[in-house]
Amino acid sequence: MAVNLGYKNVYRDPLGYPEWHANGLPVDTSPAGLAEMVPQSDTSKPLQGWSVIWTLLGIFAGGIALNLTPCVYPLIPITVSYFGGQTDQSQGKLLIHGICYIGGLSVTNSLLGVTAALTGGLMGAMLQNPVVLGAVAAILIFFATSLLGFWELRLPYWLTQTASKSYTGYFGSLFMGITLGVVAAPCIGPFVLGLLTWVAGMGNPLLGFLIFFALSIGLGLPLFFLAMFSGKLDKLPRSGEWMVWIRKLMGWVLVGMAAYFIRPLLPQTAGILVLAAVALAAGLHLGWIDRTRAAFRAFDLLKSGAGIIGLVVATYLIGSLIMQGAGMQWHAYSDQLLFDAVEKQRPVIIDFSAAWCAPCRELDEVTFHDREVVKLAQQDFFMIKVDLTRKGNPDSDRLLKKYGVKGVPTIVFLDKQGEERRDLRLVDFLPPDQFLVRMAEIRNTP
Amino acid sequence: MKNAGKTLLALVAIAATLGALWYSNRVVISQKATWKDVLNEARQGGYQIIETDELWQRYQADPEALLLVDTRQEWEYRTGHIKGAKNFPIEPTWLSRWRNKGALETFLGPDKERLLVFY
Repeated sequence: MAVNLGYKNVYRDPLGYPEWHANGLPVDTSPAGLAEMVPQSDTSKPLQGWSVIWTLLGIFAGGIALNLTPCVYPLIPITVSYFGGQTDQSQGKLLIHGICYIGGLSVTNSLLGVTAALTGGLMGAMLQNPVVLGAVAAILIFFATSLLGFWELRLPYWLTQTASKSYTGYFGSLFMGITLGVVAAPCIGPFVLGLLTWVAGMGNPLLGFLIFFALSIGLGLPLFFLAMFSGKLDKLPRSGEWMVWIRKLMGWVLVGMAAYFIRPLLPQTAGILVLAAVALAAGLHLGWIDRTRAAFRAFDLLKSGAGIIGLVVATYLIGSLIMQGAGMQWHAYSDQLLFDAVEKQRPVIIDFSAAWCAPCRELDEVTFHDREVVKLAQQDFFMIKVDLTRKGNPDSDRLLKKYGVKGVPTIVFLDKQGEERRDLRLVDFLPPDQFLVRMAEIRNTP
Repeated sequence: MKNAGKTLLALVAIAATLGALWYSNRVVISQKATWKDVLNEARQGGYQIIETDELWQRYQADPEALLLVDTRQEWEYRTGHIKGAKNFPIEPTWLSRWRNKGALETFLGPDKERLLVFY
């Protein structure tokens, strides 16, 4: 390679380092420290001046992007059926109604932000709570069955009643928005978990409100246009059978999301199998079983494409489950074990994790299944896992205090003397190659 | 698209996925290359082979005159490397070589006559 670049005196030493080392020639170990590792950025700094505007604009754009998640699907038919009847309204009045609607939606979601700011990290933890995850999954399945055509979604009677009564005062639209915000909030919650944690860290309720308001406005923008024009939808020619297929596709996406939400509650293998089963069923249904036809050719391609993608995703999930390398062997924590490690001069890695935490799972599935990591760990390390899924275990509480662990995941590296290297501590996912660097570093610590 | 054709395409796609998965997950058994293989490779690549003894002599004579390049992964380099060697991780795949080409030229410096030893 260097030859191609024009270098003249290129040599290779095929025996390399092992031979050199074996002959007792001068060697060196790593440069001290982790110079190239970026320290954790401090996100809890207060925002000021222009940066507030820019942040809000960025979050607004993020809100628009959130429309790509299926959380808004259930809101689409409701919006259409609510605004659809109001063809007699003038354009200007409709505009105000639309604004009221989106405003109501945003207020509900913004309360999420205020709550996050006031309660600290609690909100984020709550959104990862099994009950909340289960409820969100149930709501998603509920709407999915409607999209798949098992029943027709209509507004509840009391809601239409209230809305039509106070219709004259724009209050109806606002009220609709507020109500629907309640439906959408738990669904977008998990997607904006990072944002919630950030807002919670700042602890400023007003800023929390503004941030989530900007997010909701972005989220609601397409719905606003839908509201404006849904009165005209009826005048459009029938869009044909293929729209029914699109609805089914959206239904399957919702089912997939529900499976994704309840995955942390299941054992790892079962979670992947459920996802794979959903993908398989969706692929077969959309691509083969469903007999919808359309006059244009692109639809056929779309249909086949969706079917094949479903099957490929299922194959990928099951295939990677089967072919995955051997996982890490973990020890449960005991004081004796730490004592042994010092005795045997071995470094220790303690992984604080919980079943419901997403980065922990990623660490388990990627980093702790990496062949090099597993091999090195089994050779030279004591690996300890502390499971914090259930709270109130006095043993783990003591450990949390001892190492000052604030949340999961936290990975603590102890050197051969049993002292922690604080600079190596991890509080997030890290890919295998960088994890190996840390392992090498702690191993070299005398 | 006809149903049979679609099913066939799906099977091909599934087979391709499985193949790609197998390829990326397979256990690579690093077989010991014989000395002859090494020489062959060197002739094709247009570089020379240096043995540890000779390298040591040159190293003793003037460590500044030669540039030692450790091509292993960073964590391997950190665990231990020849004193004075610089780390430039290159995986033995054509993709990695192609990607790192520009960076390597900067890394090796402008002196094309300099003695370079890779390991």
